Amino acid sequence: MSSISIKNIRKEFPSKSFSKNKIIALDNVSFDVGEGEIFGLLGPNGAGKTTLIKILLGITYPTEGEAKLFDKDIKDVRSKKFVGYLPENHKFPGYMKGEQVLHYFGMLSGMKNKDVKKKTDEFLKLVEMDKWRKTKIKKYSKGMMQRLGLAQSMLNDPKLIFLDEPTDGVDPIGRKQIRDVLLNLKSLGKTIFLNSHLLSEIELICDRVAILNQGQLIKEGSVYDITTSSNSYNFVTSEISDDVVNTLLNNFKATLNSKTNFTCIVNNLKDLNDIIDFLRTKNVLIENVSKEKNSLESMFINLIEQTKN
Amino acid sequence: MIFLTLIFNTFREAIAKKIFVGFFIISTIIILIFLFAVNIDSIEGMVNLMETSGQEAVKQFVIGTQIFMLNISYLLIITFCLISVSSFIPSMLEKGNIDILLSKPISRSKIILGKFTGGVVLIFLSLVYLLGFIWIILSAKSGFWHVPFLYSIFWLTLSFAVIYSIVVFLGLTTQSSVLTIIITLFLVFVITPVLGMREQTIFTFVKSDAIRFIINFFYYILPKPSDINIITANIVSGSPVDSYQPVYTSLLFMFTMLSLSIWYFKKKDY
Repeated sequence: MSSISIKNIRKEFPSKSFSKNKIIALDNVSFDVGEGEIFGLLGPNGAGKTTLIKILLGITYPTEGEAKLFDKDIKDVRSKKFVGYLPENHKFPGYMKGEQVLHYFGMLSGMKNKDVKKKTDEFLKLVEMDKWRKTKIKKYSKGMMQRLGLAQSMLNDPKLIFLDEPTDGVDPIGRKQIRDVLLNLKSLGKTIFLNSHLLSEIELICDRVAILNQGQLIKEGSVYDITTSSNSYNFVTSEISDDVVNTLLNNFKATLNSKTNFTCIVNNLKDLNDIIDFLRTKNVLIENVSKEKNSLESMFINLIEQTKN
Repeated sequence: MIFLTLIFNTFREAIAKKIFVGFFIISTIIILIFLFAVNIDSIEGMVNLMETSGQEAVKQFVIGTQIFMLNISYLLIITFCLISVSSFIPSMLEKGNIDILLSKPISRSKIILGKFTGGVVLIFLSLVYLLGFIWIILSAKSGFWHVPFLYSIFWLTLSFAVIYSIVVFLGLTTQSSVLTIIITLFLVFVITPVLGMREQTIFTFVKSDAIRFIINFFYYILPKPSDINIITANIVSGSPVDSYQPVYTSLLFMFTMLSLSIWYFKKKDY
């Protein structure tokens, strides 16, 4: 069973000008998120990421299409019973204290009073906010609000957690703590749907990602598949002679990085093996052959640029 | 339990925004002034004089005082209370706050009804404190325990509920406390009293049947808190009530407002 199932979701907003044209925030978006995955949703500003999360949580309604959380239609409020959510720039009522925020939203999640109290203690300690529990949240810093928000999203022991920019405003140490919390949740079998601009973080913790641009899904897959170029291989060898270099450059379209390192673009596995055979006939020792890996950030930028063109 | 949480949170918000404290202080000042007034020599002398002239005079004095306090309470709930609760809905709708609320497994209609009920219960308890104490002081002093005065707590709560339904609707649609207060006060203090007195005022110079029909139409569909207050005064004084039509039509208006609020809130994207 998928934690999230999205089929042909489209969302139109009325134009703010007098024009009859509508703003298309999401256009025919479909994908599934499996149980226990950490799934990253990427995209430039205005790509439709937050709109998609809001649709899944019933905060905004889709114009067309359907979605399910744990096989329950998102129109059914019970679909949110096992869901936690940390919105971007969330704002808790300023008159509440930290522990009151958790108590209030825990009770609204349908938890029992004694469970809420127990979990409040547990999660305030986990996000290191225990000593601020009696302080009114209008006195909290952005980082403290973020940590309290994270605790709120986990309080009802959800099977699925939506996090919209969870590390926004958090210092590097706090970010590392949040990452550790997320990995711990994953080890407990929770599904995490993460929306973040920090691609390096997504790359570190996500199993799969989807990339949205201008409301359209332009790529979806595992982080490994997306960051690994399918036909570019990197070779680490013993020092190669000039005639070997010349052959590699002329016959195998190689790019030389140093006398012991080069990259080749191949069309198929036979081409790859031909290079290896050639090197072996020239008594070149091969230390490592690996598919060339790009950073998620460079892949993301390339994809967005391609879409623009 | 979720519904109770919403009601309880309205109380917490009222306490945090000093609404409860404000009403408590104002009520306590009124009670103290009242306590002082019934103990000063001239009033005490008047009560003694009335006691010698018969029970009926004491009753009339007590009922008259109670109606006076009823009118003060009426003004209090539609000014201070209305202004105080007008921020409940707009603050709930603030971006970042509403997102978390709507992500919980609770229907949107329950959220609106929870907020509405919370506000009404809040004012009911405040009125119990104010009018309950006044009733006890006056009854203890005069020896005349006039129970119908306590009914006014329910009637005033009803008037508040009717007005609060407008506040909820306007709060949802305008998301502005200031605009909500201005429109509601204009409706309660200008439109409905003028429509209530339409026969003595507007109809003296409007002779067209069509226009009279339209004015009558608006009179019947709009709430009538001032008419409910007159009915309450009649009940307290034991006078006959001509018609309960203002109560029925106001209740109908309240349910319509709440239904519209729920309908609007349910279809709105946040």
